[in-house]
Amino acid sequence: METLERESDDRPLIEAAQSEPARFAALYDQNFDRVYAFFARRVSSREQAQDLTAEVFHQALASIRTFKWQGAPFIAWLYGIAANVLSKHWRQQGRHSDEELTDLSSMGGDIERSVMLAKAVGTLLPDQKHVIVRRFVDQKSIKEIAQELGRSEGAIKQLQLRALENLRTKLGGTI
Amino acid sequence: MNREQLAEELDLKVDALMAPGTDTSTPDPLLQLADELRMLPSDEFRDGLREQLMEKAESLEFHQNASVARDEFTFTQPDLTPAFSRQQFGALPADPRNFLLSFLSHAALVAFIASGIWAVHSPVVRNRILTSELTYEPLPVGDVAPHGGGGGGDHSATLASRGTPPKFSDQQLAPPAIVVRSETPKLQAAPNVLGPPDLKLPQSNQLGDLLSPNVMPSNGAGSRGGIGDTSGTGVGTGIGGGVGPGYRAGYGDGIYTLGKGVTAPHALYDPDPEYSDEARKAKYQGNVVLSVIVDATGHVRDIRVARSVGMGLDEKAIEAVQKWKFAPGMKDGRPVAVQVSVEVNFRLY
Repeated sequence: METLERESDDRPLIEAAQSEPARFAALYDQNFDRVYAFFARRVSSREQAQDLTAEVFHQALASIRTFKWQGAPFIAWLYGIAANVLSKHWRQQGRHSDEELTDLSSMGGDIERSVMLAKAVGTLLPDQKHVIVRRFVDQKSIKEIAQELGRSEGAIKQLQLRALENLRTKLGGTI
Repeated sequence: MNREQLAEELDLKVDALMAPGTDTSTPDPLLQLADELRMLPSDEFRDGLREQLMEKAESLEFHQNASVARDEFTFTQPDLTPAFSRQQFGALPADPRNFLLSFLSHAALVAFIASGIWAVHSPVVRNRILTSELTYEPLPVGDVAPHGGGGGGDHSATLASRGTPPKFSDQQLAPPAIVVRSETPKLQAAPNVLGPPDLKLPQSNQLGDLLSPNVMPSNGAGSRGGIGDTSGTGVGTGIGGGVGPGYRAGYGDGIYTLGKGVTAPHALYDPDPEYSDEARKAKYQGNVVLSVIVDATGHVRDIRVARSVGMGLDEKAIEAVQKWKFAPGMKDGRPVAVQVSVEVNFRLY
């Protein structure tokens, strides 16, 4: 997978976290979006994706000292943990869909797109970003957002349209 | 259609998209984006999780540092027997003979006092039956990880003697005793131990600790009236009203880690794990580390993945290790449950 090859040189970060666990923060920041995206495409709610993501990072931190560098990127190890966490989650829900977990190469594109989208939201103008986060992440109505920002509902709808168009452009019109 | 109408129309579609139970498949690229945005993580979650992890990391670091400090302390401990190493103690010259003389005279004094106490508290022995014919019976393995245990004793000079515990009951009316000190007990009740009544352990006419090497009747060196060398109203080397080396009600199976007299279990039967199809196809290799408990019967339980490699190999490792059989770890000549790590290597040749 292209991204795995590109970011394979994270050994110094791993070694730093192994000798000083507080430095795990750098590995968390670097890999959060991908681990989250791994789950976001496979579960039905943001809450589930967040819970499972948290589980992966807690397990990773707890085991970081036993991690042995074998040349593979750190994210591959995290995906391994994520696949187990998801498999266990599905088993608890009575699902047996382990085959869906196996092909990391086919889902790599989806994960990268989600990572790009998350980063693109961060680069929007502040008022557009606010509308996107409140509308889609916090699931607020246009009326509620208009009241928060002290603007008309029409203005918020226009901001929503512009923000979505900008995101599409930033993603290279891949949709 | 002007921008205002476009924005209005888009918002209507977004509203419909966000209604619960709506089919989210749409050819409209902006709506597809809106659908993806619904699954974005919140900043609060991202920051909150980061904070949680940092707190946990600090705690890990603290334990790591504490461990280092403990090691350093071990190396810098003062010599407690300077006489043996011929070091000077203050201004006085040190001679090993002084130390030996002092040690022997103190030991003699302690032995003299102990013999007096023993003579005064000599027990009334009833139904004296030696139990040397009893053989070691491993505690049964339950579905739920056992943790119960008991102990007791009446400050006897010898270890609790070998035998079988009484029956389990939800309530304990009288603790078991091998050596009965009162011929006229205040409460006439059959002794029992605390635990589920349906829990069955080997029974015989001789009460005692299943795992004890001592065959001379004794309630043990512990306290509170049961049978054992610790504290409680049960039977065993644990604490509480149950049976075994754990604590509280039920039968025990205290879990040890290696070191301090606890020997490692060794595998007697360890068939190789199978390769998962997906890992074989991907030519994926790795080492899965499992944390397991090898119980006193040599069976593996409580398997947990300590280092995962994914691709279905973790499950294959667990599947294989579940079948393994061990000679159990030992402590003080008794088999005990030991927590160990097992590394399962997956290699393609």
